[in-house]
Amino acid sequence: MGSHAHTPAPEVPEQKPGYYEIMETAVRELLVEKKVISAGEIRQMLEVMDTRTPALGSKIVARAWVDPDFRQRLVANGRKTLEELGIDFFENTQLIVLENTDKVHNLIVCTLCSCYPREILGLPPDWYKLKPYRARAVKEPRAVLAEFGTVIPDNVEVRVSDSTAMIRYLVLPQRPPGIEDFTEEQLAPLVTRDAMIGVVKPKVPSAKEKSQ
Amino acid sequence: MSEVIGRPPGPVLDVVKAEGAAPIFATGDEVKISMRSPVGHYRVPTFIRGKRGRVEAVIEPPAINNEDEGFGRNAGVKRHYYRIAIPLTELWPRYAGSKSDGLRIEVFETWLERS
Amino acid sequence: MNQTEDLIKQLPTELGGLEAGPIQRVEHEYAPWEKRCHALANILDIHKIVNTEEKRRGIASLGGELVGKLTYYERWIVAFANILFQKQILTPDELARKMQEVEARYPGTASLGS
Repeated sequence: MGSHAHTPAPEVPEQKPGYYEIMETAVRELLVEKKVISAGEIRQMLEVMDTRTPALGSKIVARAWVDPDFRQRLVANGRKTLEELGIDFFENTQLIVLENTDKVHNLIVCTLCSCYPREILGLPPDWYKLKPYRARAVKEPRAVLAEFGTVIPDNVEVRVSDSTAMIRYLVLPQRPPGIEDFTEEQLAPLVTRDAMIGVVKPKVPSAKEKSQ
Repeated sequence: MSEVIGRPPGPVLDVVKAEGAAPIFATGDEVKISMRSPVGHYRVPTFIRGKRGRVEAVIEPPAINNEDEGFGRNAGVKRHYYRIAIPLTELWPRYAGSKSDGLRIEVFETWLERS
Repeated sequence: MNQTEDLIKQLPTELGGLEAGPIQRVEHEYAPWEKRCHALANILDIHKIVNTEEKRRGIASLGGELVGKLTYYERWIVAFANILFQKQILTPDELARKMQEVEARYPGTASLGS
């Protein structure tokens, strides 16, 4: 089929895929052939997944920092509030937004697998899914936080949420002080993915950023 | 079989609630996590079994036991999950952090007993 | 007492409270096939063909050695294959033949076996 002089079709990469990629490709193609799923669904899901990155979470947190009504609704029902913004959930999960306060510092973990607020933050970092974090976050959270450079005073409770069922968590960090005049757009970049997992605090703006 | 405490008598209603529809526990209840060892699949980590905690929230709506879901069940009696608060000092005898540090974890109703 | 009981009582995927070393801040950019594998999982769950809990159970069923040696999405795809066989959606023979066919698209390389 086609001219033999041409190189293979662009969809076929030159480098042979590994064993597991071959398995994934074969499973997917068989399921499409049997009409169990469609190729279009996979493509569309990939597109949806690509739109879920920590930047989305940062915007949500920044809005909660500037808009008390939004914050209240977010904390009361995370999923419903985000669906109203057009952020749909493709898993049958709920979302609890955990507010960090002067008295409580939250962090999230999944000791049984890798539950994570993927609809908001995208795919988790490897370390979140590997043994050291999953084993130690529930047993010695302060030591874990210290490894991330985060020290929580003894008079602040460290609260670890371990996902085992349909609840997913997002940490709402405390807004850094001294930047009350920052807009949402200026605040969002301070909110890193790791701050929404709860292992670090938000970035503190530089003097230059404050003066802008 | 789990040691589920019988439901307290409720008001006489025109509508009879389906089995499992009413939560057995309420926010603030002192509870203990059951001690059994399922073969094949579970969603209650070993490290909380037998430990005591407090119901922080009743999660709505009731849902299917996810341990059964692991074997393909998608129908059956729905019961509640509860967000349980357990102090880390209760979980780890030599816990070195603050005494106020705690765990929050969702537990299915059939794994909870009154403490 | 049978010392192997603990292997049954504790799933190889359960890690809370175990002894572990320092957290290595490992991250990697997800390969396209890994993202496709995740997309596949989401689609299978949405259609209630293989729900997320079945996937978790399937991964734990791989046993300690495979759970320890395979990477995250490698575990997923092997678990999916097994679950799809159990549900009689695919057969091992179909998958083996399709994998050979996929591999044959890359000529000049060693085959997966006859």
